[in-house]
Amino acid sequence: MPPEFIQALQNMSFATAIRESAIVFPVILSLHLTGMGLFGGMILMTDLRLLGISLTKHPVSDIVNGLRPWKHLGLTLTAGCGILLLWSKAAIYYPNPYLRIKLVLFALIIIHALVFRSVYRNVADLDRSPVIPGRAKLAAALSIILWLSVVTAGRWIGYWEPKGAPVNAAQVIN
Amino acid sequence: MALFLAYDVANNPLNTNEWAFPVCEVLHILGFAVGIGTITMVDLRLLGIGLKKESAADLWKGTFPWTLAGLALALITGPLIFSSDPNMYLRNASFRFKITALVLAIIFNYTIHRWVALKKSPGGVAVLAGLISLVLWASVIFGGIFIAFV
Repeated sequence: MPPEFIQALQNMSFATAIRESAIVFPVILSLHLTGMGLFGGMILMTDLRLLGISLTKHPVSDIVNGLRPWKHLGLTLTAGCGILLLWSKAAIYYPNPYLRIKLVLFALIIIHALVFRSVYRNVADLDRSPVIPGRAKLAAALSIILWLSVVTAGRWIGYWEPKGAPVNAAQVIN
Repeated sequence: MALFLAYDVANNPLNTNEWAFPVCEVLHILGFAVGIGTITMVDLRLLGIGLKKESAADLWKGTFPWTLAGLALALITGPLIFSSDPNMYLRNASFRFKITALVLAIIFNYTIHRWVALKKSPGGVAVLAGLISLVLWASVIFGGIFIAFV
């Protein structure tokens, strides 16, 4: 993407307002993390249920279907806040390799969702099945690996600094 | 506080190793996501808005080991992060707020929250317990993030 465009995004008045506010930026970041608590924790519980490790007394369909709307809410909150955080410092984050890794991981997560669509859509079949099929377990294991990688890449974004150029540390941190 | 006066943070591996600190942070996030995520599952049931096919008591029992494991991971990595700069944290108003909220949240979770979730017919008190739990845990997360901004 052309750097002028990235800079123009960052220069938009609402983006500048978020970036320069001592309250708004950390509030959005806190909501980003709150969404992770809601969404991340529930994704792990869903995947561990599919692996037959957690909540084994509850039918798979109850856990997968019951948590689905809340995971969607958490994802909307986390992604919405993430986009605002990224937008407000677009030019600062743009060259960051960990941001790029994170975006690639999101692409993989979308591919994962498409490939394993049938697993999550037909969970009632899993209730009737005496053992959880390998395909469902593979989907769950890959999901855990992908989301853990997203969190890791996300945290590393805050530690990367462009080589050579003097940076205002307060701008890059978090 | 005096305990930390003679402590040289420069020798702490968290400050000398490039990877140690962010690894602790990632594990801290993972821990609280599992801990708070599973507590939220019970809260949603208490509020009567989620996982309605399960009973609150079954959810409490089913999530119990995971909540404990998640909180334990956060409570191991938290003090490690704290050790990287104890004097800064102790002076930090947001850190003090967070620790206060955390102590209240943990006590609440294993006393009233547990009692209400395991009750046969919790009724109106369930909604109140679910709300208090959500507010307390959200306060812990907000307090944690604001440490870097106050």
